[in-house]
Amino acid sequence: MRSIFSMFAKSPFKPLASHMDKVRACVEQIKPLFAAQLAGDYDQVQSVSEKIMQLEYEADKIKNDIRDHLPQSMFLAVDKRDFTQLLSAQDDIADSTEDLAVILRIRHLANPPELKEPLNELVDHVVMSANSACDLIHELENLLEASFGGVEAEKVEKACHQLATYEWEADKKQFVLAQKLFSLDESLSAADLLLWNEVSKKLGAVADKSEQIGKTLRIFLAK
Amino acid sequence: MDLNTILLWFGILACVYMACNIGANDVANAMGTSVGAKSLTFRQAVFIAAIAEFAGAVFVGGHVSDTVRKGMVDPNLFADTPMHLVYGMISALIAASIWLHIASFLGWPVSTTHSIVGAVVGFGFIAGGADAVNWSKVGSVVMSWIVSPLMGGLVAYGVFRFITVHIFDKRNPVAQSKKLVPYMVFVVFVILAISMVYKGLKNLKLNLDFQNALLISLTVGTIAFVIAKILVHKIKEVAPEDLNQQFISTEYIFKFLQVITAFYVAFAHGANDVANAVGPLAAVASILKTGSVEMKVEMPLWILTMGGTCIVVGLLIWGMRVMETVGQKITEITPSRGFSAEFAAATVVLACSKMGLPISTTHTLVGSVIGVGMARGLASLNIGIIKKIVISWFATVPFTAVLAMLFYKAFLLVLS
Repeated sequence: MRSIFSMFAKSPFKPLASHMDKVRACVEQIKPLFAAQLAGDYDQVQSVSEKIMQLEYEADKIKNDIRDHLPQSMFLAVDKRDFTQLLSAQDDIADSTEDLAVILRIRHLANPPELKEPLNELVDHVVMSANSACDLIHELENLLEASFGGVEAEKVEKACHQLATYEWEADKKQFVLAQKLFSLDESLSAADLLLWNEVSKKLGAVADKSEQIGKTLRIFLAK
Repeated sequence: MDLNTILLWFGILACVYMACNIGANDVANAMGTSVGAKSLTFRQAVFIAAIAEFAGAVFVGGHVSDTVRKGMVDPNLFADTPMHLVYGMISALIAASIWLHIASFLGWPVSTTHSIVGAVVGFGFIAGGADAVNWSKVGSVVMSWIVSPLMGGLVAYGVFRFITVHIFDKRNPVAQSKKLVPYMVFVVFVILAISMVYKGLKNLKLNLDFQNALLISLTVGTIAFVIAKILVHKIKEVAPEDLNQQFISTEYIFKFLQVITAFYVAFAHGANDVANAVGPLAAVASILKTGSVEMKVEMPLWILTMGGTCIVVGLLIWGMRVMETVGQKITEITPSRGFSAEFAAATVVLACSKMGLPISTTHTLVGSVIGVGMARGLASLNIGIIKKIVISWFATVPFTAVLAMLFYKAFLLVLS
C-alpha cells in the first residue's frame, strides 16, 4: 500500500499524560507515607514505600517507551527538546518521591513532635504543587486543539503563574522546617538530623520540578 | 480475434489496472483524512468518492488528459505511422502499471501521474528522438510537481492560521465558527461550481462565457451559504467558560465542512488523476477506430465510465484496508485540521488541473498536512515521508521511461 498515513505518527502527548498520571499516583502516596512515619507505624511505611517504588517503576516504563518513539523524523507541535525537558521534569518528580520512600526506610527515624506541624504543611503544599502540575499536563490536549493560543493559552499561563507561587511558598515552608529541625540538634541523633534534612530537600525537589513543568509550558506558549 | 482487438484489450487491461491502483491508493489517501477525522464513515467516503471522481473527470478532466495525450509528445509525428503511437501509449500504460505495482510492494508513496508522465516521455523519446518531446511542457510539468506540494503547504498554513486566529483564539469559538463557516462553505461551492461550469460543460455542448459562469457559481454559492446558515443555526450555543465543550462543538461544526471538502478533494482528484488512466486509452481507441491520428479526441463515454468504475472498485477492494486502518489509528487529526489540509490540497490540484498540469494529489495533500503541522495544528508528524517522496520523484520517471522504451521496442519487434 502506498498510503501516506504513516505520516500521522502517534502523538506522544497522550502517553505523556498517562506518564503524568502515574507520577501523580506516586505523589498521592506521599501523604500516607508521612502519616505512617509520624504515627511511628514502620510496617506501614514499608508497605507504602513499596507501593511508591512499584508506581515509579511503572512510570519509568512509560517514560522509556515515549523516548523510544521519538524518532529523528518526528515533527512535534513543540520543540522536541522542550518536550523531553517536560518528560524529564515529570520523571524527576517520581524519582524524588521514590527517594523519600527510600530515605524513610533506611532506619526507624525518630519523630520529634515539633516537626509534625511544619512537615505536614510542607507535605500538603508539595502534593498540591505536583497535582496542579498534573492538571496542567492534562490541559495540553486542549492547548494543542487551540494551537497554543487564545483563551486556553491564557488559562494555562495563569495556572503556570500559580504554580510558580506554590513553589515559592514551598520554599518558605521548607525553610521553616529546616529551622525547626536544626533547633533540635541537641536532642536528635546526627543520623536522624541528616536524614530529616534529606527528606526536606527531596520534598522541595518535588515542588521545584512541578514548577519546572509550568516553566516549560510557558515556553510552549511563547513560541 | 484480429490484432487491433487484441491491442485494444491490452490497453483496456492496463487502463483498468491503473484505475484500480488509483482507487486503492490515491483515492484512499485523499478520502482518508475525512475518515480519519471521523467526519465520514467508510461507506459514505466511497459514495462521495464515486460521485465526485466522476464529476471531476467529466467536467475538468479534459485539460490534463490532453496534456498526457498530446502535450508532451507531439502526435503529429506519428501521422504516417499511427500504429506506433498505439504501441507507445499501450507501452506507457503497461510500464506505469508495473511501476505502481512495485511501488505498492515497497510502500513508496509514488504518484500515478509521475509514472504515466515518465512513461509517455520515455516512449516519445525513443520513438521520435529528443525533438519529439515537448521539453518546455515537460519542464513545466516537473516544476509543478515541486511547486504543488509547496503551494499546498502554504495554502493549508494560511487557512489553518485563519481558523486559529478567527475561531480558536476567540472567547467563544462556537459562536465564531457559526458566523464564519457559512462563508467558508460559500467559497468552496463557488470554486467547485465555477470549475464545473466554466469551460467544463463542453461535453454537454453548453459553453458558458466567464461572466455567466461566474453568475451561476455565485448563485450556487449563495444557496449553499443560506443552507449552511440554517444548519449551523441549529447547533447549540456553549458557555464560553466551558472551553473543552467549546472545542468539541467547534470540531463538530467542522465535521460538516469536511464532508464538503471530501467531495472537493475527490472532485479535484478526478479532474487531475483519472486522465492518467483513461487519457492514453482514449488515444489508442481513437486511432484503432479511425486508423489515423486525430488532434481532437472526444473522450468516449465508455472509457470514462470504465475508468470511474474501476477507481471505485479499487477503492472498495484494496482502499478499504487503508481507510480502515486510518479510521482506527488516526485520532490525531481533527476535522478543523482535516478541513484545512483538504481545502488547500483540493484547491491547488484543481488549479493545476485547469492549467492542464498533471500533478500528484497525494503529494499535494502531504504538503498541505505538513503546512497545518507548521502552523502548530498537529501534535506530531512523521516527516520521514518527505524523504520517501523525494526518492520516489527521482526513481519513478527514469524507471517508467526506460520501461516504456523497452516495451515499445518489443512491440515494434514483434508486430512490424
